Amino acid sequence: MRNSFFRQVFWNRFRANRFAMAGALLIVALFLVSLLAPFITPYGPDELDLYHVLMPPSAAHWFGTDDLGRDVLTRVIYGARISLKVGFVAVGIAVAIGTVIGLVSGYYSGHLDNILMRVVDIMLCFPTFFLILAVIAFLEQSIWYIMIIIGLTGWMGVARLVRAEVLSLRERDYVMAVRALGACDARIIFRHILPNALSPVLVSATLGVAGAILTESALSFLGIGVPPPTPSWGNILTAGKEYIEFAWWLTLYPGLAITVTVLAYYLVGEGIRDALDPRLQR
Amino acid sequence: MNRGGIAFLVMVLPLLLLAACDRERGSSPPPRKGPGMPAYGDAIVAGSIGEPSTLIPILATDSASSDISGLVYNGLVRYDKNLQLEGDLAERWDISRDGLTITFHLRRGVTWHDGGEFTSRDVLYTYRVTIDPKTPTAYADSFRQVLKAEAPDDYTFRVTYARPFAPALESWGMPVLPAHLLEGKDITKSPLSRNPVGTGPYIFRQWVAGQRVVLESNPNYYEGRPYIGRYIYKIIPDSSTMYMELKAGGIDQMGISPIQYQRQTGTAKFASKFNKYRYPAAAYTYLAYNLRNPLFADKRVRQALTSAINKKEIIHGVLLGMGQVAHGPFKPGTWAYNPDVRDFDYNPQRAQALLAEAGWRDRNRDGILVKNGKPFQFTILTNQGNDQRLKSAVIIQYRLKAIGIDVKIRVIEWASFLSQFIDKGNFDAVLLAWTITPDPDIFDIWHSSKTGPKEFNFIRYMNPEVDRLLEQGRSTFDMDERKRCYFRLQEIMAEDQPYTFLYVPDALPVVSARFRGIEPAPAGIGHNFIKWYVPKEEQVY
Repeated sequence: MRNSFFRQVFWNRFRANRFAMAGALLIVALFLVSLLAPFITPYGPDELDLYHVLMPPSAAHWFGTDDLGRDVLTRVIYGARISLKVGFVAVGIAVAIGTVIGLVSGYYSGHLDNILMRVVDIMLCFPTFFLILAVIAFLEQSIWYIMIIIGLTGWMGVARLVRAEVLSLRERDYVMAVRALGACDARIIFRHILPNALSPVLVSATLGVAGAILTESALSFLGIGVPPPTPSWGNILTAGKEYIEFAWWLTLYPGLAITVTVLAYYLVGEGIRDALDPRLQR
Repeated sequence: MNRGGIAFLVMVLPLLLLAACDRERGSSPPPRKGPGMPAYGDAIVAGSIGEPSTLIPILATDSASSDISGLVYNGLVRYDKNLQLEGDLAERWDISRDGLTITFHLRRGVTWHDGGEFTSRDVLYTYRVTIDPKTPTAYADSFRQVLKAEAPDDYTFRVTYARPFAPALESWGMPVLPAHLLEGKDITKSPLSRNPVGTGPYIFRQWVAGQRVVLESNPNYYEGRPYIGRYIYKIIPDSSTMYMELKAGGIDQMGISPIQYQRQTGTAKFASKFNKYRYPAAAYTYLAYNLRNPLFADKRVRQALTSAINKKEIIHGVLLGMGQVAHGPFKPGTWAYNPDVRDFDYNPQRAQALLAEAGWRDRNRDGILVKNGKPFQFTILTNQGNDQRLKSAVIIQYRLKAIGIDVKIRVIEWASFLSQFIDKGNFDAVLLAWTITPDPDIFDIWHSSKTGPKEFNFIRYMNPEVDRLLEQGRSTFDMDERKRCYFRLQEIMAEDQPYTFLYVPDALPVVSARFRGIEPAPAGIGHNFIKWYVPKEEQVY
């Protein structure tokens, strides 16, 4: 029952944070919109109308049309799907890898820990963005590759966080007790240490989603992210930058979408951190 | 700048390359300030998306390289502003009665940029190295028609052909290379590829990879020293960045996009700082199908693809109407262009019927056509930095999806696009453009013998009748007969659809208003570049 007590405390604290709640609501709304995209958008995401290109926002096209006459609102909404998908899959991969490496490294320490942490250091030395650029140049353009690559280059922070938690957790009395009862390492790690090490991971993952969304937007902006005609916020922005002087709607709306979404994730991430931190009492 | 008989793969619309001007439509605003006095000095900064590949012209196939080497080298002949051949390094020439022998009388006193004298030895060397099988060049073929080339003295060069060869004279527009620097050396390893020495109006000074190429005016140029002191070719791989540079005064000349032409350059402020020009470019954009791929082997499939593409819509949406529909490889209005040939206009029903006839059906009802268990899927490749091509590709993708064909688009940086995909025949379909040369001899692009690596028939189009017409069209001086050949050729191509010929765009160059002396002509604006000048009081560099 202790568990549900903590959950209640966490929830109360989180709910009291108005910014975090606003962020959470935004994310929920974003999910709903992107799930229901085909039902709420009046046009198809790649439906062209070459006789109405670069039309300013109007009743028919709330966010205007792009350089091929596609509805910007529709594309921004479909773009949300890409961004959310990328955010979650990439972070899922990063968290999975980072957690396992952090657990192993922290629990076994010694040589293994040394080696793994040096690998982390090496990975951190690479400027991640350029590593991604280089790798993508060799692969076919595909959203799956992008998600995987962002995931594969983003696990180091999680690994360090988890390792740090595990280092302190494995010395606790309860772990000693479980070990005395004859539990195997796997059981100790996954059943008894992991659940207690998860809170920093949760924070880092939430912030990571924001980072992954930004990375994907940047890649698409550079033209090597999500291939056309699939809309993503980054490639809508790219298409718009050429016309920024007179077709502001093409850059403003996807830009706002990125800003708001990333902000929402940060607010939620911060909210979770504050709610989990026992030292922060109001 | 005007290169005879040479076709180039175009990255973006070339700046100075020839482009005939339709007087009705070509517009050239009068200079707002007085013409001022011609004066030496100043510099012109031209913007380019692509970087030259090599500055040895016989090894280059891209328009960026030819932009530079057009200013550094000369040929024996060149096209004047009305697209008539005139002497360049050859002062004059005699053609024998049978048309088989041309004797060029070379200009005396022309010097190479390093001080050496230009003689017939240089011409002979250029000829020999071009036909050398070890030289990887796409331009050997017209020189291979030569039976005998000789240099009886330092200022005479004579060539004899075995059979009449119509583009013979034009083919000597090929830039002449300096024999004294190259003879006996491996041309592919020559430092001249990055440090050329020519006879032209501009001397090569510097090439900073990925940034700029700097040329300086040649005080000893045989036509007189050019007014503009330096020519800087600035490489900016993104057209909107380039446009901002133009407006900020960082560059003086670039080809703008139709959208920029129509929506961003109409202001009085722009008009006071720049002159803009518009004329049909001597280039056509096409979607080429790799005929090694069994997917495109059936003519009906290619016809269906063309039927499913709405060229008018592409011109409207991408070029904002500033271009013409292409039905074949020639420019509308030129003598070789067959106005009666119409290929397949937009008709998706016919496209579907043709595909069904060829065995493609939507068997599993997922919207994608299937034959022998394989879905109809292919990738269109195009080069990075050309927004118009990418947009055209997206429109084509949309239209083909409507008839059940799944198209992917891949954008690749120019150098690896040529080396990894085009040269190796490693592609399904490419969206590219060719320059249209004044002489209609398009042997190099379509003849079945031109399918080797680095050659221009990279789609491996082989049609015996086309081969025969190409041979016949170049081996007679009789204009009517040539016309018949090329007219028939267009009929066959309209039927065969080895390419879907998309459009002939308008060239839209913009030049800073401080440059005077620009004369729009059928050859575009680059023909009198050495006569452009900036009045002393307006010089900025």
